[in-house]
Amino acid sequence: MNDETKQKINKRYERELDKGERFWPDTIFRDLIMSLGIFLLLILLASFVGIPVEPKADPSDTSYIPRPEWYFLFLFKFLALYGQLPLIGKIEWLATVLVPGVAIGILTLLPFIEKSPNRYYSKRILPISIMTIMVTGIVMLTLMSEVPTVAEDGSTLLGTLQTIVGIFIPVIAYVLFAFFKSNTRLMIWTTSLAALSMIIISGTVLALAPEKKAEETEVATTLVDQIFAGQDLYSIHCTECHGDDGSIAVIQGVEGLEGEKITPINSRDVLYTITDSAMAEVIAYGRPSSGMTPFGKTYGGELSKSEIDYIVVFMRYMWDDRFEVPQEALKPLFPPLAAGEVPSYDVHIQPIVKRYCISCHRAGKENNNYLMTTYEEILTTGDQAANNVIAGDEGSYLLQVIQEHAIMNPEKPGEELIGVMPPNRALKPNVVDVFFRWVMNGMPRTAVEAGALSTTPAATPTP
Amino acid sequence: MWNTIYNWLDERLGFNELYTNLLDRPEPKTTWWNTLGSASMFLFIMQGLTGIFLTVYYTPSPDHAYDSIQYIMEGVAFGWLIRGIHHWGATLMVILVFVHMLRVFFTASFKFPRELTWLIGIGLFLTTLGMGFTGYLLPWNQKAYWATTVGTQIAGTVPFLGEFILKALRGGPELSALTLQRFFSAHIWIIPALLAGLMGVHLYLIIKHGESHFPTKED
Ligand code: HEC
Ligand code: HEC
Ligand code: HEM
Repeated sequence: MNDETKQKINKRYERELDKGERFWPDTIFRDLIMSLGIFLLLILLASFVGIPVEPKADPSDTSYIPRPEWYFLFLFKFLALYGQLPLIGKIEWLATVLVPGVAIGILTLLPFIEKSPNRYYSKRILPISIMTIMVTGIVMLTLMSEVPTVAEDGSTLLGTLQTIVGIFIPVIAYVLFAFFKSNTRLMIWTTSLAALSMIIISGTVLALAPEKKAEETEVATTLVDQIFAGQDLYSIHCTECHGDDGSIAVIQGVEGLEGEKITPINSRDVLYTITDSAMAEVIAYGRPSSGMTPFGKTYGGELSKSEIDYIVVFMRYMWDDRFEVPQEALKPLFPPLAAGEVPSYDVHIQPIVKRYCISCHRAGKENNNYLMTTYEEILTTGDQAANNVIAGDEGSYLLQVIQEHAIMNPEKPGEELIGVMPPNRALKPNVVDVFFRWVMNGMPRTAVEAGALSTTPAATPTP
Repeated sequence: MWNTIYNWLDERLGFNELYTNLLDRPEPKTTWWNTLGSASMFLFIMQGLTGIFLTVYYTPSPDHAYDSIQYIMEGVAFGWLIRGIHHWGATLMVILVFVHMLRVFFTASFKFPRELTWLIGIGLFLTTLGMGFTGYLLPWNQKAYWATTVGTQIAGTVPFLGEFILKALRGGPELSALTLQRFFSAHIWIIPALLAGLMGVHLYLIIKHGESHFPTKED
C-alpha cells in the first residue's frame, strides 16, 4: 500500500470523526447498557436454566457417548461426515488438522491476504461470500450435531443429507466462486442459493431426525439423597448375600455360596479397617476368590463409579459409629399401617416399588414390558396388563407373584408365565401387606384418597 | 478539601490527561454492533471474578473435584449463582467473541491501519476457546471427562507430532490426575494471563487508532 492511499484513508477517517460522537459519554453509554443487559441475562440463565447435573467421571463407562463442548460440535460433525467419504475419508488428519488449520491460517493472515483498501460490501463480494457460506455451514452443522448419520434401521438418508449440507454445497459454491468472482450479481445469487439450500436441507434433516431419547441419569446431590440412593442400590445388589443390614455371617440360600462364612460387613472389623476408596475398590472388583462378583463397570459389573460411591456413603452413615446419620435419612421406607388403614401410592407404594422393583421394572430391562416408574405405568403396562392389577381381586398377578406364587402358562403347562417377584428374595410380610391392602382397596393414589377409604377412625392420612 | 486532594493527586497522576486520552476521544458514529468487544471484555472480567470465587472451594484432583463442585452448588451460600454465572458466562463469551470477529470481518475493519488489532484478536479468540476447553474438564463429571477425551484425541491425529501433543496435553497416555492439574493451572493462570496481556495490547491499539467507521460507497 503506498503512502498516497494511506493518506487518503486517514483523511477519510478524519471526516468521519468530524461528524461523529464522543467516546465519553456517547459510545461508552451504549457499552454499559449492553454489559448490564448481559449481566441480567447471566443471572436469569443461572437462576432459571441452571447447570445440568451430571454423574461423576467414570473412565470405565465406555457406553457413555462422548461429546465435545458445544462450540466444537460442528467440527465433530464435520469429522463424522468427512469420515464417510470414499478414499480421502480414510486420511483422518486432512479433516482434523489440515482443514481447520488452513481456515485458521487464512483467518489470521486475512489483513495480508485481502490487501485492497476497499471496504464497502459490494467491493468485497468474494470474501463476504466465502465467509457467509462458512458461517452458515458452522451453524447448520452445530444444529444437526445430535442427528445420527446412520439411522437405527440402517438407512443413510439423513447422513447423506448432512454430507450435502456440510461438504458438497460448500465445495460446489467455492468452486463456482472461482469462476464468478468478477460478476457481483452472479456471486450474490450463488451465495444466497447455496446458503438457502443449506438451511432448507438442514431443516429437513432436523424434522426427519428420530426423536432424541431423554436419557435420564439420576444424580443424588445432597447427602440424604446419596444415602437413600446407596440404600436402594445396596438392597438391589447386596442384600442377597450380606443381608438387609450387612449383618450376615453365614450366607444362606445363594447358589454356590451356601454356608460360606463371611465377616459381617457392618462390623467394625470391616468398617474401621477399610477406607472409603478401598471399599469402593472392593465393591468394584468384588472378592472373586471368595465368591463376591465384581460390581464395577470396569470389571464387567453394572454399577458406575457414582453408584458405588453412594453405596459406600450409605454403609458409612448407617453402620459406622464414627459417622452421624442425618435425622432425615433415618425415617422408615413407609409409615407403618394401622389396622384398617389403606395405603396410598404416593406415600407407601412409590417408595416400596422404588426400593424393590424399579431396578428391573424400568425401560431397557427384561420385565415383560411391565414398567413401574409411575402410577399410570403400574396400572396399565405389561404383557399381562389386564391381569396384573385388578382392583379388589386377590388373584391379581402382582399380588400372586409377590406372595411367592408363580403364575403358570395356561398354554404350555409346566412353564412359568411369570416367576415370583422379586425373583431373588421374598418381600417382608409387612411390605406384601401394603401391596395387598392397596390393591384390595382400589389402588388409591393420594394420601387423601386413601384416608377416605380407611375404616379406622385412628387412621390419619400421613402427609 | 476534596479539591486540594484532587489537585495534589492530579499533579502526580495526571487525571486530566487520562480523561482526555482515554475518555474524551472523538469517535465516528457507532452502533450496537460496536458494543460486542466491550461486552466480551465485561464477560472476561465477570469470569475472572466468579472464577476466583470458585477456586476458593474447588479442588483440582479426580477424587475431590466432583465433590467440591457439588459442595459449591449445595453447601456454599449463592454458590449455585456464582457457578451458574461462570458456566453461562463461558458460553456467552465464546458466542460474543465470535460474533464480534464476524462484525469486524464484514465491515472490513481489519484493514489499514488496524491489521495488528486483528492479529491480536485472533489470539484472543483462540485463547478464549482455550479457556473453554480447559475449564470444561474441571467439574470432572462424565460429560467433562469424555469431552476432553475426544478433544485431546483429535489433537492426537496431527501427523508425526500427534503422539507428542496428546501426551503433552494429557500428561501421559491417558486422562489422569495429571491432566486435571495441567488443565487447572492452564485455566486459572497461563491462559488468563495470556488473555489479559493480549487484551491490553488490543485495547491500546483500539484507543490509538479509534474505532473504524462503517463503510459507505466511498470506501
Ligand atoms: C454373591 C454374594 C455376594 C454379593 C451379592 C455381595 N457380596 Fe460382598 N462379599 C461376599 C463374599 C463371599 C465376601 C468375602 C467375605 C470374607 O472374605 O469375609 C464379601 C466381602 C465383602 C466386603 C469386604 C470384606 C472384607 O472383609 O474384605 C465388602 C465391603 C462387601 N462384600 C460389600 C458388598 C457390597 C457393598 C455389595 C453390593 C454391591 C456386596 N458386597 C455384594 C459375597 C457377596
Ligand atoms: C431382579 C429383577 C426384578 C425385580 C427386582 C422385580 N421384577 Fe417383576 N419381573 C421381572 C422379570 C424378568 C419379569 C418377566 C417375567 C418373568 O421372567 O418371570 C417380571 C414380571 C413381573 C410381572 C408380570 C408383568 C407382566 O405383565 O407380565 C409383575 C406383576 C411383576 N414382575 C411384579 C413385580 C413387583 C411388584 C416387584 C417388586 C416388589 C418386582 N416385580 C420386582 C424382574 C424383576
Ligand atoms: C481468570 C479467570 C478465571 C478463573 C480464575 C476461572 C476459574 C474456574 C474454576 C475454578 C472452574 C471450576 C468450577 C466450575 O466448574 O464451575 C472453572 C470452570 C469453567 N470455566 Fe473458568 N475461570 C476463569 C475464566 C474463564 C473464562 C474466560 C472462560 C471462557 C470461556 C471460562 C470457562 C470455564 C468453563 C467452560 C468452565 C466449566 C464450567 C462448568 O461446566 O461448570 N473460565 N473456571
